[in-house]
Amino acid sequence: MFSEPDSIFPALIVLLPVLAFVLTLFLGKKLPHGGAYLPIAAIAGSFIISLGVFLEIYPDKIVQQSWPWFANMNIGILIDPLAVVMLMMVTFVSLLIHIYAVGYMSHDPAKPRYFAETALFTAAMLGVVLSDNILQFFISWELVGVCSFLLIGFWYHKPSAAAAAKKAFLVTRVGDVLFLAGIVLLYVNINEIIASGRFSVASDNYLLQFSTMFEAAKLIDPTQLTYITLLFFGGAIGKSGQFPLHGWLPDAMEGPTTVSALIHAATMVTAGVYLVARTFPMFVATPATLGELYPSFFPAHVPDALLIVAYIGGFTALFAATMGLVMNDIKRVLAYSTVSQLGYMMLALGTAGAVLGAKAVGISLFHLISHAFFKALLFLCAGSVIHAVGTNDIREMGGLFKKMKITGTTMMIAALSLAGIGIPFLNIGTAGFFSKDMIIEGSFEYGEKTGDMIPYAFAVIAALLTSIYIFRLWFMAFTGKPRSERHAHESPNVMTRPLMILAILALFFGFTQVGFYGYLEKNFELMGVEMAGHEGEAPEIPVIIILLPVIVGVLGFLISYAIYYKRWLDMSKIISSSNPLYKLLLNRYYEPKIGADIIGVKLTHDVVAQSGEFVDRKIIDGLVIDNIIGKTTFSLGEAARKLQTGVVQNYASVTLLGVGLLLIVLKLVGGI
Amino acid sequence: MTAYISLMIAIPLIGAILAFLTKTRQQARAVALVSSGISLLISIIMLSRFDSSLAGIQLDEIHSWIPSLGITLSFGVDGIGMPLVLLSCIVIPLTVIFAWGETKEPNKFYGLILLELVGVLGVFTSLDFFVFYIFWEIVLIPMYFLISIWGGPRKDYAAIKFFIYTHIASLVMLLAIFALYFNAWQITRTPDFNMFHLLKNYSLLDGWLITNVISIKDAIFIGLLFGFIVKMPAVPFHTWLPDAHVEAPTAGSVILAALLLKMGGYGLFRVILPLLPFSDSPGKMITLMAIIGVLSILYGTFLALAQRDLKKMVAYSSISHMGYVTLGAAALVPLSVSGAMFQQFSHGLITCVLFMSCGVIQHSAGTRIIGDLGGIAKYMPKLTFVMLAGFLASLGLPGMSGFIAELLVLLNSYANLPTFVILALFGIVFTAGYHLWAMQRAVFGTFNEKLGHIHDGANYEIASMAVLVLLIIFFGLYPNPVLNMMTTTATPLVRDAAGLVGVIV
Repeated sequence: MFSEPDSIFPALIVLLPVLAFVLTLFLGKKLPHGGAYLPIAAIAGSFIISLGVFLEIYPDKIVQQSWPWFANMNIGILIDPLAVVMLMMVTFVSLLIHIYAVGYMSHDPAKPRYFAETALFTAAMLGVVLSDNILQFFISWELVGVCSFLLIGFWYHKPSAAAAAKKAFLVTRVGDVLFLAGIVLLYVNINEIIASGRFSVASDNYLLQFSTMFEAAKLIDPTQLTYITLLFFGGAIGKSGQFPLHGWLPDAMEGPTTVSALIHAATMVTAGVYLVARTFPMFVATPATLGELYPSFFPAHVPDALLIVAYIGGFTALFAATMGLVMNDIKRVLAYSTVSQLGYMMLALGTAGAVLGAKAVGISLFHLISHAFFKALLFLCAGSVIHAVGTNDIREMGGLFKKMKITGTTMMIAALSLAGIGIPFLNIGTAGFFSKDMIIEGSFEYGEKTGDMIPYAFAVIAALLTSIYIFRLWFMAFTGKPRSERHAHESPNVMTRPLMILAILALFFGFTQVGFYGYLEKNFELMGVEMAGHEGEAPEIPVIIILLPVIVGVLGFLISYAIYYKRWLDMSKIISSSNPLYKLLLNRYYEPKIGADIIGVKLTHDVVAQSGEFVDRKIIDGLVIDNIIGKTTFSLGEAARKLQTGVVQNYASVTLLGVGLLLIVLKLVGGI
Repeated sequence: MTAYISLMIAIPLIGAILAFLTKTRQQARAVALVSSGISLLISIIMLSRFDSSLAGIQLDEIHSWIPSLGITLSFGVDGIGMPLVLLSCIVIPLTVIFAWGETKEPNKFYGLILLELVGVLGVFTSLDFFVFYIFWEIVLIPMYFLISIWGGPRKDYAAIKFFIYTHIASLVMLLAIFALYFNAWQITRTPDFNMFHLLKNYSLLDGWLITNVISIKDAIFIGLLFGFIVKMPAVPFHTWLPDAHVEAPTAGSVILAALLLKMGGYGLFRVILPLLPFSDSPGKMITLMAIIGVLSILYGTFLALAQRDLKKMVAYSSISHMGYVTLGAAALVPLSVSGAMFQQFSHGLITCVLFMSCGVIQHSAGTRIIGDLGGIAKYMPKLTFVMLAGFLASLGLPGMSGFIAELLVLLNSYANLPTFVILALFGIVFTAGYHLWAMQRAVFGTFNEKLGHIHDGANYEIASMAVLVLLIIFFGLYPNPVLNMMTTTATPLVRDAAGLVGVIV
């Protein structure tokens, strides 16, 4: 019913939220709760269809539908294992957050706009997931970006929100341009191999379909393929907040907390990871030239694109975690945590991809989904706290556990999951325990096989920091003496019920691990893509390596317990502006200063744009037009008037000047 | 033979005369709306009769005029002209609706707007080079008056500059047309102003304009090219545009940016591309066009970033967007050329919304200086909605028409002009930058109390902008109704050029 080639249901997954967007936008004002029930019903519908599709296609079928669109482009739907797990996650998390938002946004007069925009966002995100070709993927990706822009700037009267919205759009736009350049390069290369007769597609309409791309990747010049994949990865760096384009994501917390939970934690920011996973066969097919050229720096036999993905991801995981340690805004701590966890997902694709091939997609996606549950939960808990105390600053919170038992408990569950707490060998643990453990083990295996242990080191140190910052947050908010006058209270049921559901998933989702990996591993096989096998013997993983992630997780908990609960250590000496390291972290490595002030305002506006303005007004217009041509014209005109021969000569002389000018230009470019 | 085109041109001409004769503004604007509305209706009928699978001229008609000189009144449309006819017939009625509240000499105001419609329709449909030139010049006059009567403080300077600048370009073009005509006459022994015959005869020409310096062919080519790119306008011949826009009334700016600039691009496709393969140095000419195109894109972008006046910023954004037209045309690939044609159509819709937004803001807040505005969204929610949609369209958001155009140009130009495409890609981030930066400072943020009491746009203003936004989204999702005919026409257009042109730079 859901997965027949001509079924309308797959398209409805996207179209229902689109419809909800239009209706809410125009009718929301007249409906209760700003029309919230429209998107809730629509997304519930999308979720049910996604589930139906999943049940029908599991374990070894895919849905493919395609229609011609414009020029040589097509529009289409591809639901394979990769897409269907994302579909279910996105619709489910979005549904819960929409329900929660009914309570959270209840006092906001602009509710209809809020619900319309989140419905459009959900549609666009589902569009990203469902796309069967890279162009449609890009288009949905951009629409996701604009919804993010609108929602970060939801309270547009706040200058900080307007600035954050702009920053988010522009920084991700840098990535988007790289992505677009990658598409251009891919398009040109596919056309080239078609023109040379080495490749053909059934019809021109399907030039940029994923299946075509994977076929063509084998024939494209390997260096070009590296460029293409790295440009795609550039897009992923922007969208998924990887270093050096990570700065927009913490600023994006200016939006409502529900937006942070939905867009800037659970779904949109994972689109970059999804892009790399979606085009993974191309990444795997890139040549391993870096290791050959610089054997002292890079490991041998690791595809270039994967190596770079691994390093950027690993570095980001660690780099963002350091900033998470010192932030005082509850949402910013979580934002840096998101950046860091997205780094883990990239790391998994890079390292596990190099040694385990197609399995890496499962490993990365499993963390993506478990992260979506626990991070959405963390944000919604933060929202519940903010709702109660009216501030984002954790220094002004404290002692909330007594008043907010449900929020406190569910947030602890989420924190345990983020820190990856569980019991190794018995296979009992939180979702994060299973998903992160596998990434760390994968990077160890990569280290064993290639001799490059750096990504593994990134992953382990970042895991320790993760645990410290998240329990610091929890202890500061929920324990100790209340530091605020405001009378806090537990949130209404419409907000706490979604917390409980997500808490259950953050606790138990991990148990689907084995089935999940098995299902995702076949993803590209089902599309008929052969990926280079990386079978070989799996190395024996030492016991200490298996234990280490949990050890650092518990260690982090104990450190935070000692400092922020027991207060055994006086932090005031460390947290001071005279400590250069603390200052560096608190100022976010001066990224906002470098990015916005120096590159944005000083260089682009003050230097380039203003000198352009000078050239335009003073040289082209002032000197050439007004003075030379203008004055000559008028003096010639004056002379002509005296000769009473009318304006024809005037025009003729100016005409000659014009042609002369063009001749000079031509001469300069060697035209004549 | 059909008579759609002559009817479509004649009705606004009659309307213009009637409008001049009316006594009240109610009569004048009603005449304007009805006559431009009829033209729109005719253009829609034409679109329904038009066969997108045929490359040649359709719906053509021919009336004799001056046989001794080979001048005829002949009209027709193909994939180059038809979309622009449609665009003109969409833009003018919406401009009339937008300017529904005009009180200063309304009879002349609406009459001049109708004359603009007559002029641009003539340009986009004339198949006789002489008649084409007449319409080309007709367009200038009403615009001169629109600026000099209804314009801002420096209207006289701007109107004269506009007139002289574009008129010089027209005259250079006229000289080139005459050179083409007389040289062809010498060879074929028959006087003939038919555009297609003249373009075909170009390949027969020979000889020097100035011996060993510039050949007749090159001189004609450059003369025509100059005439068109000044109109677009392309850097470095663009400085008339910002001045004209700053002083022009909103309706004038809308028509100028949406329709008059398109005449330049139309000339590239109608005249320059057929000549290009037969010019004496096609490779050099293509390089020249590509440089001009990409220079306009980047230069326009950075200059837009530097502006403090919102309207001037929009003016520079036009220069930048029109650069894609030149670039796509220079790449000489069917889909890059049809992408460039689509950019013309799309920019015509988008720029209207932008200039209308500037007009509403100026009217309500009394200023367009970005720094003096701030937080106006609070009191102008409807304007903010349509303006944001227009700005997003202008920065190339997918799902809106501008994206399709620029995507087609970028994707398909790369094969022949890789370096230029990479340079153009750089502009994309900054394009988003100036749009969003302006929105952030002017519209969002804290309301600037110094602005005093401001009100939202009038319903007729918002309505005409909303219609444009809907069209932008429609053609962004489903460009085929105009894109297909563009591609059909572009394919044979570049066939001659294929092979002559290798990869440049």
